Amino acid sequence: MGVLAVLWEKWREFRRDFYKITLAAVITPLMYLIVFGLGIQTTSHGEPYLNFLIPGIVSLSTMTGSFSAVAQNMSVQRLYEKALDQVMVSPTPLWQFLMGQVIGGSLRGMYAGCMILVLTLPIRTGLIFNGYSFLIMFLNGTVFSTLALVLSFLAKSYTDAPRYTAYIITPMSFLCNTFFSTDAMPMGIRQVVAALPLSQTSGMMRGVASGLGFSPWGMVILIAYLVAFSLISVTFIYKKKNL
Amino acid sequence: MIEIRNLTKKFGDFTAVDGLDLTIGTGEFFGLLGPNGAGKTTTISMMSTVLLPTSGEILIDGNKLDRKATAAKRKLSVITQEYSMRQDMTMDEVMEYQGRLYYMPKKEIRRKSDELLEFAGLIDYRHRVVRHLSGGMKRKLMVCRALMTEPQILLLDEPTAGMDAISRRQMWNLLRQLHSRNITILLTTHYIDEAQSLCDRVALIDHGKLDIIDTPEALIEALGGFAVDETSEETLVCHYFKTREEAIEYLEKAGRDAVLRGTTLEDVFVERIGRRLSQK
Repeated sequence: MGVLAVLWEKWREFRRDFYKITLAAVITPLMYLIVFGLGIQTTSHGEPYLNFLIPGIVSLSTMTGSFSAVAQNMSVQRLYEKALDQVMVSPTPLWQFLMGQVIGGSLRGMYAGCMILVLTLPIRTGLIFNGYSFLIMFLNGTVFSTLALVLSFLAKSYTDAPRYTAYIITPMSFLCNTFFSTDAMPMGIRQVVAALPLSQTSGMMRGVASGLGFSPWGMVILIAYLVAFSLISVTFIYKKKNL
Repeated sequence: MIEIRNLTKKFGDFTAVDGLDLTIGTGEFFGLLGPNGAGKTTTISMMSTVLLPTSGEILIDGNKLDRKATAAKRKLSVITQEYSMRQDMTMDEVMEYQGRLYYMPKKEIRRKSDELLEFAGLIDYRHRVVRHLSGGMKRKLMVCRALMTEPQILLLDEPTAGMDAISRRQMWNLLRQLHSRNITILLTTHYIDEAQSLCDRVALIDHGKLDIIDTPEALIEALGGFAVDETSEETLVCHYFKTREEAIEYLEKAGRDAVLRGTTLEDVFVERIGRRLSQK
């Protein structure tokens, strides 16, 4: 299976850059937790703000971990190293290559999310993280991995990857239900932001964490994003004239 | 067998390859020659499916080559002009990744990898990361990687570019050995002597169009097998003759600033392509 070849390649990269990847995954979310959660002591909906923040930070970490793992890797492979040529000419079906990228990227995102869970364990918030949480994290990771694939096919230079992070990922990090509820936003903007994948993920993670459960619509929306981004990236890799 | 039919590639208004028709027989060593920007690399890129043709098609043993053609792609290996491999991998990892992409069993990957790295004199550097290798070592590694999967067709885009004279000769010998194993080889090169030494047939292309196609010997014969270089203070003018006698007769009249030699494929290239370029 070509998927396994790509996963092997991702595993090799993870093992080699283990410390760098781990540090990159935890530093920014940890700062958010310290500054917003522990530094500025406050409450939200009658509960410690940290209880609101942690599920959002876990979702955010899953997003950035998955996105950066795929966007950076693919852009460099395609536009700088030209290593994608090796894949293109190989008999590995290209959809399997993409699937490997998505699964690998999502696992990297889950790793980043799990690191935050481990780091917040001593705080004893009473939040619940179970199988559903991991399923939501994985699904969120696949959405942002496929988004990264789409953007890396659109990139004209390998330096575009950090730009996409600045244009798309950073605004989502702050606006999509991570630090404050989308309910606080003005009409119109609220609906748009609430429909974004990170808002859905944060909402579902928070629902599971508080023991209230989550709406299946969140899952449906994430799956819809996943299908749309997957179709676009498959179309790109098979039909784009100049890769 | 490789069949290229009316292959055209346009980038906006610019036509890089313009209705190219070629047939390369099984086991043939075929050279694609042309000046910079002639469309050689674009042709190889279409054969490796990184670029899709604007029109026309490529057939491998009768099957259309495109991005879904896994059976046709299994027969191919490409050595690109650039060092197209992960720079953060070790040599061993580059070889293993290639083997995995071609579904080779792990034991077989190990065996072939050992054999090829040993053969190329790279075995002592197998744990070295690609970015820390010299240009020549990277080239050799690309050859090893391409041979890992025992391809039936090898596409070589400027395989000796940037190599020193000794490494180039080593590469030539390696390519001859591969040719003797009945591997079909398509070579693009700037070094015309390389094509003359290695290729069964060559095609000259210019501005994406096929100019002429034949064996190096026939092309040289058509121009004249003997050349007289006549030098003045500013220029070198070559005259070509069918027979040695004609050449000697001219040489005697020309005086002492003239030299007799055998015509080369480079002369053919310069006469056909270079003259056209200088006229423009």
